[in-house]
Amino acid sequence: MAKFIFKRLLSAIPILLGVSLIIFILLNVVPGDPITLMFKEHIYPEVIERLRREMHLDDPAYIRYFRFIWDALHGNFGISYKLNRPVTYLLLNAFPRTLVLALSAAVFSWIVGIPAGILSAVKQYSIEDYFFMGFALCGVSMPVFWSGLLFQYIFALKLGWLPVAGYAGVKYYIMPAIVLGWSSAGTIARLTRSSLLEVMQNDYIRTARAKGLRELPVIFRHALKNSILPVVTIMAIQVASLLSGSIITESVFGIPGIGRIAVGAIQSRDMPLLQGSVIFATFLVIIGNIIADVAYAFIDPRIRYD
Amino acid sequence: MIDGRYNKILNVNSEINKNNIELKESDELRRDNVLKEVTNTFKKNKIAVIGLFFIIFLLLIAIFAPYIAPYDPYAVNLDLQFSKPNIRNWVGTDVFGRDILSRIIFGTRISMLIGLIPTFISMIIGIILGLLSGYYGGKTDFIIMRIADIVLAFPSLLLAMVIMYTLGASLLNIFIALSIVRWAGISRVVRSQTLSLKKMEFIEASKAIGVKNWNIMWRHIFPNCIPNLLVLFTLNIPGAILSEASLSFLGVGAQPPTPSWGLMISRGKEFLLSAPWVSIFPGVLILIITLAFNFFGDGLRDVLDPYMKY
Amino acid sequence: MNKRRFKFFSVMVLCLMLILIAFCPIQAANKERVFTYILDTEDQETADPQMTTWAYTIPMNIFDGLVRADTIAPGQSDLVPALAESWEISDDGLVYTFHLRKGVKFHNGEELEADDVLFTINRMMDPKTKALNTDFYDMIKGAKECLNGEADSVEGVKVLDDYTVQITLEEAFSPFLALLAAPPCAIFNRKATTEAGSNFGLIPKKTIGTGPFKLTSWTVNEEMTVEAFDDYYRGRAKVDKMVGKIIPDIATARMLFENAEVDVFDCDFARSQIPYFLESEKWSKQVVSGPRVGVFYYCINESIKPWDDVRVRKAFQCAVDRKIILDKIYHGQGILANGIMPKGLVGYNPDLEEIQYDPEKAKELLTEAGYPNGFDSEIAIISGTTSTRDELVQPMLANVGIRVKIKSLDSAAYYGTRREGKLPMYTNVWSADFNDPDNFFYTFFSKKNTAARSFNYNNPEVQDEILRARRIVDPKERIALYQELEKKIVYEDAAWLPLFSLDHLFVVQPKVKNFKVAWNGWSSMPFYGIEIIDK
Repeated sequence: MAKFIFKRLLSAIPILLGVSLIIFILLNVVPGDPITLMFKEHIYPEVIERLRREMHLDDPAYIRYFRFIWDALHGNFGISYKLNRPVTYLLLNAFPRTLVLALSAAVFSWIVGIPAGILSAVKQYSIEDYFFMGFALCGVSMPVFWSGLLFQYIFALKLGWLPVAGYAGVKYYIMPAIVLGWSSAGTIARLTRSSLLEVMQNDYIRTARAKGLRELPVIFRHALKNSILPVVTIMAIQVASLLSGSIITESVFGIPGIGRIAVGAIQSRDMPLLQGSVIFATFLVIIGNIIADVAYAFIDPRIRYD
Repeated sequence: MIDGRYNKILNVNSEINKNNIELKESDELRRDNVLKEVTNTFKKNKIAVIGLFFIIFLLLIAIFAPYIAPYDPYAVNLDLQFSKPNIRNWVGTDVFGRDILSRIIFGTRISMLIGLIPTFISMIIGIILGLLSGYYGGKTDFIIMRIADIVLAFPSLLLAMVIMYTLGASLLNIFIALSIVRWAGISRVVRSQTLSLKKMEFIEASKAIGVKNWNIMWRHIFPNCIPNLLVLFTLNIPGAILSEASLSFLGVGAQPPTPSWGLMISRGKEFLLSAPWVSIFPGVLILIITLAFNFFGDGLRDVLDPYMKY
Repeated sequence: MNKRRFKFFSVMVLCLMLILIAFCPIQAANKERVFTYILDTEDQETADPQMTTWAYTIPMNIFDGLVRADTIAPGQSDLVPALAESWEISDDGLVYTFHLRKGVKFHNGEELEADDVLFTINRMMDPKTKALNTDFYDMIKGAKECLNGEADSVEGVKVLDDYTVQITLEEAFSPFLALLAAPPCAIFNRKATTEAGSNFGLIPKKTIGTGPFKLTSWTVNEEMTVEAFDDYYRGRAKVDKMVGKIIPDIATARMLFENAEVDVFDCDFARSQIPYFLESEKWSKQVVSGPRVGVFYYCINESIKPWDDVRVRKAFQCAVDRKIILDKIYHGQGILANGIMPKGLVGYNPDLEEIQYDPEKAKELLTEAGYPNGFDSEIAIISGTTSTRDELVQPMLANVGIRVKIKSLDSAAYYGTRREGKLPMYTNVWSADFNDPDNFFYTFFSKKNTAARSFNYNNPEVQDEILRARRIVDPKERIALYQELEKKIVYEDAAWLPLFSLDHLFVVQPKVKNFKVAWNGWSSMPFYGIEIIDK
């Protein structure tokens, strides 16, 4: 097991390198320069020139890239051009908030998705099926900023139950978690449903039924156990999509997490910060994948890795 | 477990088959049976049928938009700014006095295009790369899969944003950006199917006879992937539509004055409190179209499920 | 699932819940008078006004300058003593002697002395500081040499005694006093700033000024909090704490305000909402408005053909119906601008001829210039921003034959291209940094800056006069010159199209008293003077 994890971590390195190379190339091709952006309306051409020289922004590309990789290997991701603080500091500060958001969103997606999938599989093609699947799928069918806005309007403005934006406590996370989690719920529901359907057709379920056992306990004890597997595997992909979705959710609900940092970094051509955030996010996805694989093997003893 | 029937039916012209005429007859019978079976099972799933109807309905609207829309979607009329839904403008007007209903109708075109084109392109890329990767294995597989890994590990919205910044914000570039971001998952699926199929006897047999690699991929492997791909295609369309909406929110989607639903929502949200109809109705439309594709796709998967197992 | 596994998972779930709860900070119950506002849509980068060219809200509240611009009547402002209680200017305009107020305390308890002023100016011009706003002091004698590394300090700044500092300029520079009221000229404390090093402006505790508030906390991308400074020389502020939130989304900002989670809403965020606020029963009495000493304008890039032909530019000026834009999109909240200097600026000429909307004349001019069928062109916008003006101007121009496409660039590409002088036509607003015509003329039409703003204005005579005007000491002569230059640049050379000067509207919660719009109508403003009265 440990060897397996180690091998996977090792294979993460070329992926991370590849990701950082793509970012570097793209950000260099994109027009616009971070220094000029720092000045906004009050441009002083000579000052801009001087700063560019001092920050080595006119060095050839490969030199800049290798310097970055060299520093990164020593744990130094540089200082954000725009936010003036070390990239690692910014990421470590922003990460817990995104983590809380993503975890609560994931939990919500399970709460909505799994029962929806179960009900839908058990009562296939009935009104309940459509209704619950529909509910779960609504999340996947609405742009997150739109549903976020509606939530803010209804629950914050009109009903006053929850605050509009911010992150100063548990109640600030409720709406963003629901909005973000809902968008994953559909996938979870689908997966639960299809794997449950598949399993329900298996012989041993029929046997259990033939033995005269009641339907629900049969489903719970036998079918569910085996349906959890796909859900666990989807956890890895969920991490990636939740990170992606958090970009917009954090914007709408004013949560200063990784998503906000990454978007800001792109907009201000802030290479150090962008490299840091994307590499960090990619690393999280890879870790998510590894955890999913490990959990997979843990739950199903039949699966073992060399 | 391959369903031999289905396999044969789609390989009517397979060079292996020497008894063309005989097979054709019985194959056609079988093909009719399969189609009937599929349609009947599908009909059981009422909401999928409703979804299909909506899709066709919206497609028709998209095609006949200029004839259906009451007004020119770009016509500015400042005196009618922000009118509530009324007899003249059934869904009201926006900040420039443009009729929202007409913009929604024309927006159907854009949403359909955004849904279909990038998904289609990414499918093609994904299929080709997946086939190559699964069939040839070795170095080709390694390289293609590493690239796919990298693309998949990237948060897709960020990648799309950076691409849009590089290319500039326009509808064409959205197609490109969304295609680039979405091919990797498809290629993975095709690859794994290719891998399992590769080991099948009839493939070995074809190779032994001397059928060219390309023919094997195109005529034997690819058709077996079709059911899965159909479902994937249908289910990927809503994702593309939503991605465009998100890109518009971030400012790098369609540009004004294009009547894209995503753009209408993100521009209209600042008036949510005083003129909610500007962003609510396009939002409802997006909800409907994506739900329709989702239900239809799920129904399709239910129905084609027996044919997708390996 | 066996018991062991079940326990494992339930423990995991419990841990998750604990993590969630742990992130919920304890809300202190307090009777503080807190003013919450929306600071910006993005993080402020730094609180050091020498190191930023736009994030001025916090600096304007935690620092002071030698002088200050105050509104003395609606739309009228004057320079009043701030840290300097009096000053003398030599007849040749070269030597400024400032007498500092005694007993002014910094947030760390140190007293303001002339040495602090010396330190502040030297710090700005020290190349190691990498300050962005060096242009604010580079007219001082020896400043440029200091920046180039040729000198260790700025020769022209002398400490005469503990409370008197003398500044000698390289040449006469009439805007100097007005300029000292601008945010980048805040005075720092030598001891505190030297100790803080590169953390000055980043770490709240180390960012020390003399202002009515001190920076107490800063969460990147979320909020910046300042608290009242008890020993402020003008008296403690009537608000205990001010929380500035970073909210990137306008709709969220609006809802925060309606939900009373922020205390003021800057209508510049959502101008289309102004009629709603003005007509709503709840909010109409809570609207605070002030004139903006600024001009909304269209830039014409003379390096892009055919805009190099003055007739084409004049045609553009006649083709736009500015009044209808002002009335329909901006609800008449402002006045048309016809020159360069807006109302409220020293030198404003109320008798300027109005630029007439005359599409027929525009077509004539175009035909004369050789474009009877018009031509194609572009307008650049920053993607994601509202481009209402452009979307209205587009059909107006099409009407006379100029077919413009709206080209959308993201902000980095936009600013980068503009600096290179290649940005096609664009619209923007410029509000006075300090109350002097030079802030407008020099910024747009001087040889040094006109390319960097993509105007590429080329009239050597006028441009030399712009430089000369800075050195004229007699105010009447200066203003007369500026008014003449204004007519040349706008009427004869048609270098830009001034649109209008809009009022700046804010809406405040009922508990906020005494909220006044700053003298120049800026969004960044000093909040000293606001009172919070909870009912």
